[in-house]
Amino acid sequence: MTENNGQFAIETFSLTKIFADWWGRSRVVAVDNLNLKVRNNQVFGLLGPNGSGKTTILKMLLGLLHPTRGRAVVLGGDGKDPKISAQIGFLPEESYLYSYLNARETLDFYGSLFGLNSRVRKSRIDALLDMVGLAGMANRPIGTFSKGMARRIGLAQALINDPKLLILDEPTSGLDPIGTRQIKDLIVELARRGKTILLSSHLLADAEEVCDRVAILYGGLVQREGSVEELLERKDKTQITTNILTDRAMEQIRRIVEKDGGEFEVKPPMQKLESFFIDIVRQAQQAKRPTSGAMNRLEATDAERAAAMSNVLDKLVAAKIEPSEKTEQAEVETVKIRPDDDILGKLTQEPQQITEPVVREKKPETPELPPQQDGIKKDLLNELVKPKGFTERIKKKDKKTEEKKNE
Amino acid sequence: MSRVWAVAKNSFVSAMRMKTAIVFMLLLIILLPILSITSTGDGTIKGRIQSFISYGLGLTGFLLSILTIIVSCYTLSSDIKHKQIYTVVTKPIRRFELILGKTLGVVLLDTLLLLVFSSIIYALTLQMPRLTKTKGDELVRLNNEFFTARASLKPDIDEQVIETKAQKSYKELQRSGQLNDSRSKQAVMQELKDIARYSMHSAEPGGMVIWEFKNVKPFDSNDNIFVRFKFEASRIPPDKNIYGVWYVGDYRQIKYGQEKMKTPIYAAPRKDVVKTVQEFQVPANAVAADGYLAVVFYNEPMNDSTIIFPQEDGFEVLYRAGNFGLNFVRATLIIFARLVFFAALGVSLSTWLGFPVAVMCSLAVFFTGVINGFIIGSFAYLGENVSLFYKYAVEPMIWLLPKFDQGCNISKYIIDAKLIGTAFFAVTIAGLAVKSAILLVAGFIIFARREIAKVIV
Ligand SMILES: Nc1ncnc2c1ncn2[C@@H]1O[C@H](COP(=O)(O)OP(=O)(O)O)[C@@H](O)[C@H]1O
Ligand SMILES: [Mg+2]
Repeated sequence: MTENNGQFAIETFSLTKIFADWWGRSRVVAVDNLNLKVRNNQVFGLLGPNGSGKTTILKMLLGLLHPTRGRAVVLGGDGKDPKISAQIGFLPEESYLYSYLNARETLDFYGSLFGLNSRVRKSRIDALLDMVGLAGMANRPIGTFSKGMARRIGLAQALINDPKLLILDEPTSGLDPIGTRQIKDLIVELARRGKTILLSSHLLADAEEVCDRVAILYGGLVQREGSVEELLERKDKTQITTNILTDRAMEQIRRIVEKDGGEFEVKPPMQKLESFFIDIVRQAQQAKRPTSGAMNRLEATDAERAAAMSNVLDKLVAAKIEPSEKTEQAEVETVKIRPDDDILGKLTQEPQQITEPVVREKKPETPELPPQQDGIKKDLLNELVKPKGFTERIKKKDKKTEEKKNE
Repeated sequence: MSRVWAVAKNSFVSAMRMKTAIVFMLLLIILLPILSITSTGDGTIKGRIQSFISYGLGLTGFLLSILTIIVSCYTLSSDIKHKQIYTVVTKPIRRFELILGKTLGVVLLDTLLLLVFSSIIYALTLQMPRLTKTKGDELVRLNNEFFTARASLKPDIDEQVIETKAQKSYKELQRSGQLNDSRSKQAVMQELKDIARYSMHSAEPGGMVIWEFKNVKPFDSNDNIFVRFKFEASRIPPDKNIYGVWYVGDYRQIKYGQEKMKTPIYAAPRKDVVKTVQEFQVPANAVAADGYLAVVFYNEPMNDSTIIFPQEDGFEVLYRAGNFGLNFVRATLIIFARLVFFAALGVSLSTWLGFPVAVMCSLAVFFTGVINGFIIGSFAYLGENVSLFYKYAVEPMIWLLPKFDQGCNISKYIIDAKLIGTAFFAVTIAGLAVKSAILLVAGFIIFARREIAKVIV
């Protein structure tokens, strides 16, 4: 590590990536002039909607993609240099593993790529398998694992060299709530031990919990960067957080505030990063900032999707609301980024009237921004609206959740 | 190195768990014993064994080549396609180590399979005479003509000598004024060269033809050496029989008039029918200590006819220079070197091509190897017009292609019990090694520059 870079684990200088097709046409600016600085022992979150360039940044840091312009310094050197990569742990977007190897063989393979001797490998593999909760499945081929289980192996793989810098691309994707919780705890614990962590995510609650600092990307450009507190601090408001107060205490506070000429509002603490994130994205969209991601067309698609979903749900649970009404409502709301509160509300409430547990699973557990799918096709939507297709999907999902429970 | 080994092991395991490898193995395991029973050849036991070896080695070489091509093209391109490579190249392994590891994995697979199948073929070949209860004369013949490795000596025509001879006669003609202007010098020289060549292998009545060889190394001086010949005569007697005396031994002893003969010179007076292949044996101790051997044919004057040995198949000396086992091992090693070549080719191509295209290219190389002689011939023909381009662009490319036909047809050596000479063996192996190395280095360079995560659609 060179001295002058000592304080930054990652530093990029006008890092830019433009994808061009074979003829050099149809350029996609995936990352635009990125100047990222990640300090040692920081947990840094790259946030942004799908297609905002998060993965592309990580790939450039690791030398999987070559920057069109600019450069990246990782741990004071080039991410491709074996001396540097020996200190990096990387979990890709999806756990790309060899399906024919079992869990132990997989970790053994990655361990030997680090040149670890077999004794060290064995003890680390045991510890890691235990940590990710797959010790009992060490001899099952990875191909038979569920997505979440494979993800856990992917994470174990990223930790086998006891890395100094951990680069995690959407670490919680595909994980069940317990796995998600474990990863978050793990990140906090690793940070406490002095590791640097760069993670990308669109799951804001996750990022908010673990990150010291975040950058919000849109269309390959950093829209806002700062520490989580810094970003969420509102200059015109003061927040007082206490334990639950008695009515009497509350009344007293109100009187004090009103005497001072301030406004008083009482509500339980809420997710904040989420609303902040949506704000940023909306601003960027209103500024007609180009994105190669899926956002532009998503407003309509998203609302339609929500409508379609509730439509099918309605049919499924034989609710009284007319489907046509729903569609209309949805169309009215297309300008909004967030799906119509009404529809969402119904979506999340209706299951409670239903006896079947199937649908309860549909209730979004994280209030994440719904535009998740890249450009859903119209006919696919129509397919969705057909009750049969949807029932099947629900059934599948149900099976999956059952599997997970069984695990 | 441990990293190369880790990659090699992984790619070996992947290939072993790939169904193609199993299918190919089953195919060979079933087909080889069947071949050993069903091969008939010309009906004799020797013919049966020859046709078994021919099909067995041919099939093994062919199937393993195809398997190698498929596996080597698959192992890297599948990692790239299914993105497992992301977690591999981001580890402290250099890209050339990855390429090397992938190739080594395929080579490991080849080693294992070739070892198994060549052993099966070898064992079955040795068993075949026993199973058919061959005995007596046939067994002796089999041992002399099949379970052996004979070196072959053919007259090596020295173009230099012929050229000077022709030049000399040309000057003679010039001096005596026998040249007429209607023919070009080139045409006359060509004719004179033909005459010179012809005269070296022909004997007038009372004349001699002499063949001299160096570096003759019989396996055992108690063996025999075999002189095989065929001649034509300018005047064929009614019974078609020509009389002559053959002398085999160190001719220098006569030429330079040594006091005492160190090695015997054998004389064999014979009477042979024209235009048919004849063979006789003399003890191998006729060969001088330094490997010199001369064979002389003396044309009896009473024949009153000029005897001509055709250039193609007029004369050959065969002698046992090795044993069957060693020859078989050499043949197997040459097949192995070819498989290594294909492993390097497949991996090298898949550093920049997807699986289907890489397989297509490798198969194309394989089949051009099978008809290499034909290709070189046709290019040489074209090449006359574009000689510079041919010399510096086409020729090196053709050189890079492997050769399986003509002199490089390995199973032909085993079938004919012909020794795979040390020099030929070494040159073939080294050539393939150099070609593989060139392909791998090209692969290193391409792969080191490649943007791994770039999606090629
Ligand atoms: N190999 C590629 N070729 C062309 N475009 C690409 C490639 N990889 C990513 N992109 C584009 O770059 C943009 C950013 O993608 P990515 O970094 O994967 O986004 P995310 O933030 O979801 O990880 C997207 O518009 C995507 O379509
Ligand atoms: Mg991504």
